[in-house]
Amino acid sequence: MKSKLSLCCKGIVWLAMFGVLLPLIVLLIWCFTERWAWPELVPQVFSLRGLREVLGSQALMILHSSILLSATAALIAVVVGLMTARAIVFYQFPGQKLLLFASMLPLIVPTTVFGMGIHLLLIRVGLSDTVPGVILVHVICALPYTVSIMTDSTRAIGKKLEEQARVLGAGSLRAFWSVSMPALMPAIFSALAMAYITSFSQYFLTLLIGGGNVRTFTVIMVPYLQNGDRTLAAGYTTLFLLITVLVFLVFRKIVQRFYPCLEQNRE
Amino acid sequence: MKRNSIIRKGTALLLSLLICLGASGCQAKEEQAELDLSQTSFEDLVEQAKGSTVSFYGWGGDELINNWIDTVFAPQMKEKYDITIDRVPMDIDQILNKLSSEVQAGKRDGSIDMIWINGENFFSAKENNLLYGPFTQALPNFKNYVDETSSDTCYDFAYPIEGYEAPYGKAQLVLINDKEKTPETPSNAQELLEFVKKYPGQVTYPAPPDFTGSAFVRNIIYEFVDPEVFVDMEADKENVKAAIEPALAYLRELNPYLWKQGKSFPATVAQQETMYMDGELLLHMRYESYWIATAIEKGMCSQTSRSFLFDNGTIGNTNFVAIAQNASNKAGALVAINELLSPEIQASRYDQLKILPVLDNDKLSDEEKSLFDAVDPGPGTIPQEELLEKRLPEMPVKLVPIIEELWQEEVVGK
Repeated sequence: MKSKLSLCCKGIVWLAMFGVLLPLIVLLIWCFTERWAWPELVPQVFSLRGLREVLGSQALMILHSSILLSATAALIAVVVGLMTARAIVFYQFPGQKLLLFASMLPLIVPTTVFGMGIHLLLIRVGLSDTVPGVILVHVICALPYTVSIMTDSTRAIGKKLEEQARVLGAGSLRAFWSVSMPALMPAIFSALAMAYITSFSQYFLTLLIGGGNVRTFTVIMVPYLQNGDRTLAAGYTTLFLLITVLVFLVFRKIVQRFYPCLEQNRE
Repeated sequence: MKRNSIIRKGTALLLSLLICLGASGCQAKEEQAELDLSQTSFEDLVEQAKGSTVSFYGWGGDELINNWIDTVFAPQMKEKYDITIDRVPMDIDQILNKLSSEVQAGKRDGSIDMIWINGENFFSAKENNLLYGPFTQALPNFKNYVDETSSDTCYDFAYPIEGYEAPYGKAQLVLINDKEKTPETPSNAQELLEFVKKYPGQVTYPAPPDFTGSAFVRNIIYEFVDPEVFVDMEADKENVKAAIEPALAYLRELNPYLWKQGKSFPATVAQQETMYMDGELLLHMRYESYWIATAIEKGMCSQTSRSFLFDNGTIGNTNFVAIAQNASNKAGALVAINELLSPEIQASRYDQLKILPVLDNDKLSDEEKSLFDAVDPGPGTIPQEELLEKRLPEMPVKLVPIIEELWQEEVVGK
């Protein structure tokens, strides 16, 4: 009985792996393919055009600033998310429910509507066409995710341990930093990753608020995807995937460096 | 206590934010001296624009065009006029959205200088006062090389241009297939019907309002109704429907033999293109006459692919560059647009991008003509003389959305 069950489990795992890996393999092949017409099993025409274009393009030159922009936005979103979560979970104040709802609004209001409104506002404030403006908008878009992730984990961990630390004489900051933070780390990592990916793949808002002055990787990539040139699209998408994985690994490394106990705790 | 302090802090924060917003909103913007073209010579413009940056907004989905701007046009502008060209890839809808927000917010030193534009978008931009002009008369190359009286320069989708945009390149709808798979090249609507019957399920066209699909539908209409009829037609749905009914009936007749029996159509020309390249479709179409040459050279299309036209001709249009009404560098944009109209640049575009030039052949010197004659349009293409001979005008811009709507109601799935 047990072996049957594990066989079944294995099958599901393999199927899932296959479902993820097969498209990735096809994507990799398309990076080097010009034409792959039905019913041929292998591509008829290979070329290095996609590779040349992606590696020689503007996209690569702005890559580091694009990553930095998204990482900053992600960090801010997590900090704001964490603070909002603590306010919501630990304090009672009027409009609390409203605040929680308002933090979800960017998910509910269509991006175009939201974008046009905030664009007008940012022009008046002088933040449109600037990097801070774009970061601000990215933070707003990422907030629903970070707030909800942080609210759940803050609620789960609670305040008891922190209060214990306070009783033992730790200041409020110290109690938070040494007690709650390590416990929250896994959630912070997920929130960071989620916020980063939201920001890094943001096309319309970056374009609208950044006005083309702020160019991110996605702003360069999306026109090629829309044009339907699969060789270029595959090249850019592969690079996009690689960058994202790389950034996640770096995030992990940083988190582990500051909280080495984290990994042991989890095991 | 705690509760009160949070409320107090929150209120203070909100208030300070509001004050910030109000203060900066009221800031008196410095009045910028409007550029008066009647008082400024082109030499003055060149002088004014020296060392400046011109932002050039336009569609960025074609790597050849992007590369050409970055590696040919921009360096030349830098060397000749010390102007930096900053190419910004953005779809025209978003460009106009952005421009209209900026104008609405009263931003005078706008971030958009030059815009690659035409047709419906030009119409709506000009109607909403988003463009700067008229400016074409201030450009020496426009006066020297462009035929100012031709309908291609005076009208954009039959909408008067009045100097608010300068021609940039010409395009014309062509049909494409592979002579290995389909020896026939249907030369009119009747032959196309036979072609579709012979290869059922393997022919379709992109669904309007896709730019190319919409042009194809208009082209089919021209097979049944003389283009002249539409020039002064009132933009009234019943009216248009009565006029194009034979074409709609023909399109319905095609439906049962089309891909998915005409119940659904590819949403974009890009989607149709991938299906054509995968061999799922046998007929393709592009609103870029010489696209096929670059596609064959890249290896995306087989060597035996070729383009062809209807005997009565296919629709052609011109695409343009305009200047934003609140552009911060109008002088630079004018110098750049003038350069785009130079024979060297137009010939370079023709040579590298296979984009048809907009200059008047009669106004070119022999030396300049040789620049264009030296260009080989490449495999699968139609000679330029034939294209120009079989070139039909675009329909008035107001009729286009009505036709697209009628197609949705009367053709899809019928």
